[in-house]
Amino acid sequence: MDKLERLLNLTAALLNADRALSAEELRQRIGGYPQARASFRRAFERDKDDLRNMGIPLRVEHIAGSDPPIEGYRILRSEYAGRDLRLEPEELAALHLATSIVRLDGGETGLRKLGGASNSVDAAEVGHVPFDDKVATLIAAASERRAVGFSYHGVAREVEPWRLSFSRGYWYLAGWDRLREDQRLYRTDRISGAVEQLDDATQPIGTPTDPSKLKGWELGDDAPFTVRVAVDDDQAAHLQHLLGEDSEAPDESGVVSFEVRNREMFRSFILTFLEHAEVLEPPQARADIVAWLEALT
Amino acid sequence: MSPKSPKLPKSPKLTAAERMTRLLAVIPWVVQQRGAPLDEIVARFDYPRAQLVEDLTGVVFFVGVHPFTPDSMIEVDISDDEVQINYADWFSRPLRLTPSEGARLLTAGQSLLSDQFGRTGDVDDEEAGPLLRALTKLSMALGEAADQAVEVRLGVAARETLAPLRSAVSQHERVELEYYTYGRDELTRRVVEPLRVFSDKGNWYLDAWCHQAGAQRVFRVDRIRSVQLTGENAEHRRSDAAESFKESFTANQADPRVVLRLRPDSAWVVEQYPTESVEADEEGFLTVRMPVSTLGWLERLMLRLGPSAQIVSIDAPLSPELVSEAAGRVLARYRAEPRLQRDPRPSASDGDPAPNRAITS
Repeated sequence: MDKLERLLNLTAALLNADRALSAEELRQRIGGYPQARASFRRAFERDKDDLRNMGIPLRVEHIAGSDPPIEGYRILRSEYAGRDLRLEPEELAALHLATSIVRLDGGETGLRKLGGASNSVDAAEVGHVPFDDKVATLIAAASERRAVGFSYHGVAREVEPWRLSFSRGYWYLAGWDRLREDQRLYRTDRISGAVEQLDDATQPIGTPTDPSKLKGWELGDDAPFTVRVAVDDDQAAHLQHLLGEDSEAPDESGVVSFEVRNREMFRSFILTFLEHAEVLEPPQARADIVAWLEALT
Repeated sequence: MSPKSPKLPKSPKLTAAERMTRLLAVIPWVVQQRGAPLDEIVARFDYPRAQLVEDLTGVVFFVGVHPFTPDSMIEVDISDDEVQINYADWFSRPLRLTPSEGARLLTAGQSLLSDQFGRTGDVDDEEAGPLLRALTKLSMALGEAADQAVEVRLGVAARETLAPLRSAVSQHERVELEYYTYGRDELTRRVVEPLRVFSDKGNWYLDAWCHQAGAQRVFRVDRIRSVQLTGENAEHRRSDAAESFKESFTANQADPRVVLRLRPDSAWVVEQYPTESVEADEEGFLTVRMPVSTLGWLERLMLRLGPSAQIVSIDAPLSPELVSEAAGRVLARYRAEPRLQRDPRPSASDGDPAPNRAITS
């Protein structure tokens, strides 16, 4: 018997059962398994793994009344099939277009389970977004309001995910940090090791920080101060672009003011302009740049 | 998932698991459609035709439940290339999406939605409607908070820039760009023929034929200051853009190399720039070898790093003195009489090593 036929029969038997079935019952009902006990067990274990790898929710239960307890297996139809999305053809086509022109790294999209799409997409790729299982797991946890545990910068965190945002080449997780009892933002590529599933989220969803608006010089514990920076004409637009969409334009003499909360990041930022930008005020920030540069000459 | 021609399947041999997951989607779909043409199944489910026929008649036909009497088995009929499936009660519904599949669909959909229709899609918008409705239904199936769970910014660029570039691509129209060449600290004007606008890792790029360079070039859209449609027809068509993109981002063999010793807190350098080798010692200091595409890029990096980095060795014509020279130039500005404007210095080329070569001609 073809292995595919056996796997389909196994799945049908498990879906059809109104109680958990033992391995022995399944062997008798399905056929296609080796007779010898040891090789049957091996084949059956492999089949179970195969079903799980396909995403089939295989349940393991103790068979009622068995003594000593015997393990039984079944698939609940409600767990197998999930909710019917009832997508209209044009809605399915829209998802098909999205998965065709936005390229995510690796993995299936599951579009076939929704009915697939027969029309070919005549549109150029719009973009490539890095993607991995870690991001997928966190999106699922945010969707289902489940907490997760992971290690970040070597520190254990328990987080209730709110939103995953892709911005400037990185995925960010915004959520509630249970141990710190505050909202936090994490870069997913800095999460080391596996993401562990925890219990249900308990805190309401807050307003996630928008990572696209993050600027290093605004993230810090220094007392906030306003800097005035003179910038060369041909770099003014570039500076304004980096300051963000809602920043003010440099005045007619090329001076722009903005707030700083992180001295180090500000210095690093302003030095990327080399001699094309100059910190005018406050004197302390200006002196800081001069001292830094003097140490390098 | 690109649709494939039935005659030229990309993967002629599917594994048992691939056939199974396809069949678990094909069966409920055919049942729901009350029969479907063979070729449509082939196209929709990316199922090689011969394999599909073999699996339907040679496998599915024998699937059922104990006691495998005719009424407990799936009935498959193929006549005139039309497939009918009956009595497939256990497989009447497709397998649910895995969390990873759901996340991927949601992400691809949200990417397109925010790119093409802005963040706040409007259900009444005829074009955005189907995608938005699809995502709403998908979110409802994936979890109570799924509609807020993903946000994708394909790039940062003004709509006034992206829109005319896209229009120029589809209309094959020449445009005049005002482009900030980061590498040379200057704003240049150039006439280009846009071939493609695409996003990669969070940045928008324009692939275009550049008349100044006489070649295809990749431009970063966030450095385009203005776009003027010229009304003139473009002459060049897109050649293998992927290839040109790749080439643009590969370090030039002729570039000098620098070896830096970095303090542990400067490991971000390795994340942000292309390196050829990285070695960490016991204390966490890194020794990093990198290509230097432009002098200015290295000057910026060294000034930012300050005491956190040391040049171990550097290829001619560059010299370790470049750090103190650059620091001296900036200091000169601070020591001069305060002035707000200065003449642009003669172009000492610099920029990010990667995009820079793509950009400058």
